[in-house]
Amino acid sequence: MGDEPSCGSMVTRVCWRLVDILSLMLHPDERDVVRGDLTESGVAGSQALRDVLGLVARRQAAPWAHWRPWLTLVSLVAPLGMLLSVTSRGTADGSAVYVWMYANNWKWGDLGNAGFWYVFAETVALVFKGYLTLVCWSWTSGFVLGSVSRRMIQTNSVLFSLMLWFGALVGAPRYFAYYFQYVHRTFGFPSLPDPNAPVFALAFYREMFPLIVQAVLVVGPSLWGMRQCARMAGLRPLLRKILWIAAIATLAAMVIQNPELWVFLHVYGRPGIWDSWQISLLQFVVYWPLGYLVASAIGRRWHRRMASI
Amino acid sequence: MIGEFEYLILSAATRLGEDAYGAAIRQEIEDATRHRCSIGALYTTLDRLEAKGFIKTRMGDPTPQRGGRPKRMVRVTAMGVHAASDFYAAVTRVSRGVSWETNRVAVPW
Repeated sequence: MGDEPSCGSMVTRVCWRLVDILSLMLHPDERDVVRGDLTESGVAGSQALRDVLGLVARRQAAPWAHWRPWLTLVSLVAPLGMLLSVTSRGTADGSAVYVWMYANNWKWGDLGNAGFWYVFAETVALVFKGYLTLVCWSWTSGFVLGSVSRRMIQTNSVLFSLMLWFGALVGAPRYFAYYFQYVHRTFGFPSLPDPNAPVFALAFYREMFPLIVQAVLVVGPSLWGMRQCARMAGLRPLLRKILWIAAIATLAAMVIQNPELWVFLHVYGRPGIWDSWQISLLQFVVYWPLGYLVASAIGRRWHRRMASI
Repeated sequence: MIGEFEYLILSAATRLGEDAYGAAIRQEIEDATRHRCSIGALYTTLDRLEAKGFIKTRMGDPTPQRGGRPKRMVRVTAMGVHAASDFYAAVTRVSRGVSWETNRVAVPW
């Protein structure tokens, strides 16, 4: 009983801290007004938390009375989330083989071998290219999602993250299971033993590694992209159009460069499609977020320098 | 026609006059109804009333009692007064002759 006041004050502090965090989801003007009302009425921390939670819930729920958020959910959040999960799983599984190979066959003596360094550099470049492409696809997906519904960024961040996790845990594994079944059934490929079976026999590479790749290379960059789209409003119309074209081309590239999708459409085997110059050009367009971020950073620095003069 | 909570807000804001703002309206409603009035319900209804043109709101000056934070001042428009009068007239008409209207006791306040 003796420590009740301090315990109570700790709960109060936690409640007010949560009030502060939740209030961030409100418009800055409304946040100030509501915090002022709570201070003036002298309510307890738990009551303040309930009040703010109620207001935030109402504010977040209000747009769902209209059709636009539902359209965004069905046409962008769900398909992009699933597509990124499948792509992320494919990239993770591909790189898991290389990680396993180096982790299980590491010999310090190889470091003096020029051939080792050649193969190692080639592998790192290959994995890095795959990871960078995945990051750019994820960032662009977030950027597009944030741009089409700026007022819903917070809600869409949560929904997109949930979709990505659902995709990682349920969607992508089922998709690949179906894909392999389909390939065997349709093309009559014999069921050969999987040469990478020792890698995926380990729970880390089978379960954990894809989740780590998804969290770092997909969830993080897509949420970052959503936040970055707020700067679009300050750009010139022509620049905005260019960014939109780059974003649409990137999303198109994500669909085109997913070979599994094309297997279902029976166009995988057609010669000339995958090595055409247009596809190669798309690969460069995919990296546009790097150019955009570098240009934004230089622009901000330049503005700060001009302001300080 | 406006809803009952909208009517409560319009009445409270009219009664408060120049001093009508979020926390004061909330207090007025809680005193009158003896029920809690949530901030969520209050501010979303204020937005709705403003969208309908029944009130106008503006940011007031920050005060020390509020930790230096501003108030959202509320002013009922002529349209708002009209809507509240219509609601009151409808409630009065529909209540005429019902048991709780004929046996009504004086409210202490």
